[in-house]
Amino acid sequence: MAYFLRKLAFFVLTLWAAVTLNFLIPRLQPGDPAEAILRRLGGDQGPSTVDPAQLEAIRTMLGISGENIVVQYGQYIASIFRGEFGVSYTYFPYSVTDVIGDAMLWTLVLVGVTTIFSFIVGTLLGTWAAYRRGTRVDGVLTLGSTFLGTLPYFWIALLLIYVFAFQLQWFPEGGGYSSTVPGLGGEFLVDAFQHAVLPAVSLLITGPIGWILAMRNNMVQSLGEDFSRLAVARGLSERRIAISYGARIAILPSVTGFALALGGLFGGTVLVEQVFNYPGLGRLLVEAVGNRDYPLLQALFLMTTTGILLANLLADVAYGILDPRVRREVSA
Amino acid sequence: MSRNSRRRAAGAVALAAATAIALAGCGGGADRGGGLTEEGFIQKLEYGGFGGGDNPQVNYNPFLVPTRLAAWEYLYEPLMETNDYTCEATPWLATDFSWNEDGTQLTYEMREGPTWTDGEALDGEDVKFTFELLRDNEALDVDGVWRYLDSVEAPDPGTVVFTFTGPGASAFTLVNNVRIVPEHIWKDVEDPVTFTNEEPVSSGPMTVKSFTPQALVIERNPDFWGAEDVKVQEIQFNKSDAGQVEQLKLSRGDYDANAMFVPNIEEVYVDKDPENNHYWFASGSPISLFMNLEQAPFDDVAFRKAIALGIDRERIVEEAQYGYVEPASQTGLVLPGMEEWLPEGLEGDASYIAYDADAAAEALDAAGYGTDGSGKRLDKTGQPMEFSFKVPGGYNDWIQAAQVMQDDFEALGITIDLQTPTPETVESDRSLGEYEMTFGVRGGTCNMFRNFQEPLASDQTAPTGEKAATNEIRWRDDRTDQLVEELRVAVGEEDQRAAVGELSQIMMDEVPYVPIWYGANWFQYSTKQATGWPNEDDPYAKYADSLLVLTHLQPTGSEG
Repeated sequence: MAYFLRKLAFFVLTLWAAVTLNFLIPRLQPGDPAEAILRRLGGDQGPSTVDPAQLEAIRTMLGISGENIVVQYGQYIASIFRGEFGVSYTYFPYSVTDVIGDAMLWTLVLVGVTTIFSFIVGTLLGTWAAYRRGTRVDGVLTLGSTFLGTLPYFWIALLLIYVFAFQLQWFPEGGGYSSTVPGLGGEFLVDAFQHAVLPAVSLLITGPIGWILAMRNNMVQSLGEDFSRLAVARGLSERRIAISYGARIAILPSVTGFALALGGLFGGTVLVEQVFNYPGLGRLLVEAVGNRDYPLLQALFLMTTTGILLANLLADVAYGILDPRVRREVSA
Repeated sequence: MSRNSRRRAAGAVALAAATAIALAGCGGGADRGGGLTEEGFIQKLEYGGFGGGDNPQVNYNPFLVPTRLAAWEYLYEPLMETNDYTCEATPWLATDFSWNEDGTQLTYEMREGPTWTDGEALDGEDVKFTFELLRDNEALDVDGVWRYLDSVEAPDPGTVVFTFTGPGASAFTLVNNVRIVPEHIWKDVEDPVTFTNEEPVSSGPMTVKSFTPQALVIERNPDFWGAEDVKVQEIQFNKSDAGQVEQLKLSRGDYDANAMFVPNIEEVYVDKDPENNHYWFASGSPISLFMNLEQAPFDDVAFRKAIALGIDRERIVEEAQYGYVEPASQTGLVLPGMEEWLPEGLEGDASYIAYDADAAAEALDAAGYGTDGSGKRLDKTGQPMEFSFKVPGGYNDWIQAAQVMQDDFEALGITIDLQTPTPETVESDRSLGEYEMTFGVRGGTCNMFRNFQEPLASDQTAPTGEKAATNEIRWRDDRTDQLVEELRVAVGEEDQRAAVGELSQIMMDEVPYVPIWYGANWFQYSTKQATGWPNEDDPYAKYADSLLVLTHLQPTGSEG
């Protein structure tokens, strides 16, 4: 029990620290949200001069408070407990909750599905490679993954866009959907599916690599442990040893990794959404950083950190239940 | 990659592709309308982005600068529409204007006939209401027009009278920039600062047809007072894709007009269809070398003049700017658009400082900055000259320009330590005066008062270490202040011209800062469907002057 309580206390403490850093870090950077917005607006037409009157008006508009930082911190903590994240500077006068709500579904569907799929496929392939370690299957999978892993993700993504969107024109170049109004109609779903294919394929090419290599290496290691040798000595079938002795132990670190990947879903989508112009949370994050959109940034970071910490907590708990050794080591 | 995994990957892609195609026929690709409507209007023009960020939300409130969608420019109209190239005002909702004797009152005559899209007439009362809306909601007055205004009256529906707190000529462009909104709708708006105006009642040449976060379509307003000049039925704005994808779309001919930076535009765009694809990068505000005038040797005019001679602007334009822009005139004015403002003696090439390394070196010698045995330039205390030059990190073209300048200074024996902190840091250091050399962008707008007041007036500066409002170089000069004040109170353009002329001369003689190159207004256009786009030969507007551009467009082949 002490193990679980300790994990819970750690969770609360890190969450508080994360929330506080989340508040402080953007404010300690130089730069002013109003100027950032004006700079972005001037972007298309070359650099423009910034008029102080304009800055003042935009500050007033966004309600950028001149309060001292302690008061701001108090307001911020209070608003978190009320579940209010304020009005986005980038999407003024829309609220942060509205904007995130719009973007979340896209990320959840695209990246959520591909992450789960990558994990399953990667783990299975890794298990297979370890089971057949030293054979051609193993060599092909290991070398193939290592090679694919060295290619930059955006390069693969751009290649896909160039070949399948520009040359063959099978799929749209980017975006989440075309001019049709979002809704649950069949036409929209087909359209959204078409837009999701290329980003999903790009994620599926690179996604399983980590899982393959991790699973294979962990499993090869656990197959070399004493308990596996004992199993061999007992004359158990090779397949049974691989599954019950090798894979069962080897999958534990991968489960933690998977929990973290799901928890960090929102933060880890920046690249794919940038390249494919996908209307999800990753792009929102980049935009919020560029515009010093504190309310939006904080809400996004809060989601990500809470997600990761929560996933960590759950993984710890699951670990404690699945592998009694962990519980004993810690409380001993 | 192994043969096996390659086959697997290819198989997965093909399967996914086949599924999508089976589901929806042919996906992707550009579906361009083209052609004319029955009335002979251009069916549809495709434009670039429409603002509102990566996940645009509906917002047609013309005063909410950070998030309004591009349609606002076509929905609401100003009293006078300014051509941002020549800075001339074209009659729009007002047909004429006049100043009183001492320049404190500006009277507009309203056009007869404009109506709102709900049928109500647009008159002087709407103008009065709009300006009072800005007065009562400071956040909406983004140009700060009420810094100058005292009152706005509409003695009759056809007349509007602006009374300024002093002579108002310097605020003329600000008044003209304000878009008029309907009183009968907006008077009931609870909080105009958070009003997103989702179903706009407007008066302009176009109305909103449809919106999704991927595309915004506006269509011709047949009841617009100048509808006979509008030959475009629909304009579709398309949310921009990531940089390289956007370039591919441009070169494929997806856009009738766009405003984006493209490296190597001749090859990427023009060569794809030389007959139809064109570009015009009109000059905008100059990017200038700022030197902190509170430090030696930058406080020495002889030093600054020598430096101005020693910068190879042509090479900067070629190597750092793809040759897209023009070297800047030392006057700070954007030429040739504003050449009418030049004083006598500075016409033609006279206000450009030509690169002359030898003359620069001689000038430095003569001013007492000699060289040591190894060719290093020494300051007046005998120390080798070495300056830091702060350029915003990530502004790659600026960094390249600074590298060219580093070479130029090296040739004069001066060492430049190029630093590239974040843009925010550079901005903050510039306003605090915590720099030796840096780039700055001031002036070059159609408001002559702002152009000179912001970079040069003493009341816009502060000592090093304190935040300067806009005079970041820390120029303090009584004669300049006097001329800026004359510009502020000038009655009519003649008086303004006199002050602008003298200020240009100060820029030439005293070199408070060194304009290097003109920032570009990116603009690509195709004449496949429409002609009449503004260009170098016919600079009736910049691309951003949407109302002027729209009313000049003609279906291709129609003008014969």
